[in-house]
Amino acid sequence: MITARVLMLFQALILICATTLSTAQAAVMSTPDYVSESTREARLAQVNALLLREDVSQQLVALGVSQEDAMARVAALSPAELQQLGQRMDQLPAGSGILGLIGAVFVVLLILELVGVINIFAKI
Amino acid sequence: MASRLLQWVSLALLSCLLTACAVYPDQPPAPQAGPAELTGVPFFPQSEYQCGPAALATSLLYSGVEVDDQALEQAVFLPGRQGSLQAELLAASRRYGRIPYRIPGTPDALIAELDAGNPVLVMQNLGIDALPQWHYAVVVGYEPNRREWILRSGTERRRLESHRRFLLSWQKASHWAVVTLPPERLPASVTPAAATLALADAERVLGEAALLPGWEAAVARWPQQPEFLFGAANAQRAAGNDQAASKRFAQLLALAPDHYAGRNNYADLLLAQGCPASGREVLSPAVQAEGLPPELAAVIAATAGELAGHPAAADASHCSDLYPLMLPEAP
Repeated sequence: MITARVLMLFQALILICATTLSTAQAAVMSTPDYVSESTREARLAQVNALLLREDVSQQLVALGVSQEDAMARVAALSPAELQQLGQRMDQLPAGSGILGLIGAVFVVLLILELVGVINIFAKI
Repeated sequence: MASRLLQWVSLALLSCLLTACAVYPDQPPAPQAGPAELTGVPFFPQSEYQCGPAALATSLLYSGVEVDDQALEQAVFLPGRQGSLQAELLAASRRYGRIPYRIPGTPDALIAELDAGNPVLVMQNLGIDALPQWHYAVVVGYEPNRREWILRSGTERRRLESHRRFLLSWQKASHWAVVTLPPERLPASVTPAAATLALADAERVLGEAALLPGWEAAVARWPQQPEFLFGAANAQRAAGNDQAASKRFAQLLALAPDHYAGRNNYADLLLAQGCPASGREVLSPAVQAEGLPPELAAVIAATAGELAGHPAAADASHCSDLYPLMLPEAP
């Protein structure tokens, strides 16, 4: 069980290394690398992709994602997306849906109640 | 009586405070399009905070991927945030072999996609700026007479939202809109820049050969854009079509002679095919170019080094099939 997990992590690591470093040695420039070359920011993100993946993956784990899932998830992010998540994951909007709205309405009603504008809670 | 007035004033002040007195510029007018509704788009009612997996499953299943919202939860849901991040929705689409394109955030773009048969994944803010309620939904239709957008949203299979209301919630989420398609199709409204980024980002995950239909579709739509010819040339070569790749490289250099990455990759192909003289001719302007990004300069130097190791003799006759630019000089 544990060996299988270690093996999986190892494979994921190799995949990440391979996709990141493969073009560095070859005498061709891949299309994604060329597109990343266009701006200085993108170039930095590209260079730091390996470190960023590790960082973002750790943040995902801290937010409740399993280790294996986190590795697979960061592997599909672009360098620019990795940079964005690495820098400010806690501030980015996380779509959760309409159910949370009920909570928001409750908070507003509570404030209105406390300020004395409405008086619905007294009747409950 | 006076206290009643005071209450209303404080209510107005409070609501102003909560919305941070945001003044939104005038919304674009409702589109004058004919009615459009993609009735075949599936629906996954969201459970708890899972509107991300549900909306993504809707888009992916419609694009031909056998997947459901349960499976996508593992790919996009973030328990600590009780929600899903936009970037992770894009990344998950790539993992399922699809290309997520950001499209312009305008009603016209939405209509163009609906007319082309593409549902649009959007983010909305159903709350207010100070108390945001981020939500994902899928736009599947528009009803011009009643000026209503039709969405797969939350637990409603066919939610109707007025133009004004929908646009405001969409604007508060920066008009984020994504069309997810298989590689052989492009969204109707995507810009060349957004298409380049979407294809390149997907290529990192899916590989060059898998993206060949995407780059070729982009060349067909925008024949004058060098980046698509470059992408198509590289993808053709990765798929083993050296002849087709040469044609794309030649077209690229005819259009943009100073595309040095294109010169480099073309020269590398010619060298691999036993045509070093043609390769040297293609690469020569790139070797002499100054002020290139260091990564590109390093790759060009490596190719030049490999070419230098080959005899200076003229190429064999088969090379004229791969390097059609090298025409014999008129006497």
